[in-house]
Amino acid sequence: MFVAGCDVGSLSAKAVIMKDENIIASHVIFARPEPAESARTVMEGALNKACLTMEDISYCVGTGYGRNSISFAQAAESEIACHGKGAQWLKPQVRMVIDIGGQDAKAIRIDETGRVLRYAYNDRCASGTGRFLEVMAGSMGIELNDMGEVSSQAKNPVSLSNQCVVFAETEIISLINAGRDLSDIVGGLHKALSHRVASLARSIELESEITMTGGVAKNQGMFKSLQEALGVKLVCMDTDPQIIGAVGAALMARQAAAENG
Amino acid sequence: MSTEEPRVIKVFEDLLETPQNRLVEQASQDGRIPIGYSCSFVPEALLMADRLFPVRLHAPGVAGTELADNYLSSLVCSYTRSILEFAMDDRYDLIRGWVTVPSCAHMQRFIDNLEYLKRPDFIHVIDAPRKVNESTLKWHEEELHMLADKLSSHFSVDMGKASLMKAIDEWNRFCVIMNRIGDLRKTPNPPITGSEFHRVVMASLASPKDLILPHIEAFYREIENRESTRKYRARLMVVGGHLHDPEFIRIIESQGGLVVADRFCTGSIPGLIPVHVNGDPIRALAEHTFEKTLCPRMMEDFDRRLNNILDTVKEYRVDGVVIEIIKFCDLWGVDSMPLVSALRKVGIPVLKLEREYRTTGEGQLRTRVQAFIESMGR
Repeated sequence: MFVAGCDVGSLSAKAVIMKDENIIASHVIFARPEPAESARTVMEGALNKACLTMEDISYCVGTGYGRNSISFAQAAESEIACHGKGAQWLKPQVRMVIDIGGQDAKAIRIDETGRVLRYAYNDRCASGTGRFLEVMAGSMGIELNDMGEVSSQAKNPVSLSNQCVVFAETEIISLINAGRDLSDIVGGLHKALSHRVASLARSIELESEITMTGGVAKNQGMFKSLQEALGVKLVCMDTDPQIIGAVGAALMARQAAAENG
Repeated sequence: MSTEEPRVIKVFEDLLETPQNRLVEQASQDGRIPIGYSCSFVPEALLMADRLFPVRLHAPGVAGTELADNYLSSLVCSYTRSILEFAMDDRYDLIRGWVTVPSCAHMQRFIDNLEYLKRPDFIHVIDAPRKVNESTLKWHEEELHMLADKLSSHFSVDMGKASLMKAIDEWNRFCVIMNRIGDLRKTPNPPITGSEFHRVVMASLASPKDLILPHIEAFYREIENRESTRKYRARLMVVGGHLHDPEFIRIIESQGGLVVADRFCTGSIPGLIPVHVNGDPIRALAEHTFEKTLCPRMMEDFDRRLNNILDTVKEYRVDGVVIEIIKFCDLWGVDSMPLVSALRKVGIPVLKLEREYRTTGEGQLRTRVQAFIESMGR
């Protein structure tokens, strides 16, 4: 039996196809203007990789901000529940998930079954999100994917006084004009973002086994910086951290398919 | 058995589309006097005497507050901002008198600016006490006497005992029917949703009671024997300050929650309770005001606020509490912190939401509510 999870976020869309206990295909795309189109496109990509068609999928669960626009999904679940479920399935010891997505950041405490116990959420301000890094990368003229590598060269990360994306961008331009090293600026950005997210996580009490999910978790500079801000060694995912929400959705699809016979 | 919306609900929806609805217009054309008010500390029954009728100030469909922004600091809440915007834009042009309470610093700024910018013929500020005891009760009684005298001399209306008793009687009839409807929400399958109930409450607060009562009674007759087959995952209670837009509750309910109890400024618990008169009606109204308001502006009253929520949770079989706070609301912002801890301590799941006066960010709200219901294991 094949099941699928489709996570349509603000900046990217992710799809995962599972058979029994295995992830057999996954696909990630940049989000299209229409969530429905993003869902169709990303699912087609995953189906092609698995050499399947939609008719082969017994059950599909949608998640993410576009979850209610996924026409082929039989159910919609919150991304908070999906990240919790996916992370716990992949790393059973995990009790807290920090998901930094394109337009929000979440800290989620889960139990041993992956059920959400408490969560904190920042979706009113871009300063704790992936969008913050994206805007800053643009203002420095470097690729988002290169930020981790650039920050690894930092010797003396700058201290940013502005958390607001708009003002932080102005501050960065001033730092560039002042001749500060790009690696130190990127290191400072990671530090600022990490401290903001760590404070969000602390608001619901830290657990000892914490992992990081979402696209920003691929940025090794950010991963390291968050570890420092939390004072905890983060559990590293062996699977692409960007697809954890879709994995959780697929697990919920598997459960629903089993319950529906 | 039905999951359909009650037919009469459309009447209340229409009445909520404008700040001065057709019933307000009708009463004004008949020579009656609409008095705008903005706080639960204003005794509505007093404003129902003779030709007066109270209209709760709301700003339906407010799109921006460009005019009000010129006069209010950026840290003033969006409710204050929205009603000042409507006042400045002459959207309350039928209102002939304003009765307010400086329940918070933001509301004081509204009153200051209203007086300065619009120079209304009649504006009265009730200096409501911040503690409940025998001395403050006497103080509040004197305050209400002053208001009654001022209304009487300015509008030439009868504020005598018989007139007040008649007004109180009408208020009580309104409360009785609203409580009957509210009681239906205690059943396992309530015939109405929280969003429908809120539409009735809000429309009633913004209309002359005598003109809206027949609609409320028709609504009750339509639903009293219904039993809903609507499926829900959790029974919720909403707690907080001003909540005017039923859309906010509809979004909560779209995620599988059923709002069965509303403990907020513009809700029915404990706002819509009858006035018990045993002697002087003004004294009774002063007592009633303290009884029907559970506002964080009141000092040394936290336990009463908490216990009211705990009792309601039991009575309405509530599974979880949603605390909604308008951004920059100092009173609810502070009170919610110990409230969240106290509720969690006794095992009640709590979701705290910060919001703007008008409903925005539907996607984020849906995600938070859905995750909250999931975290309750439902």
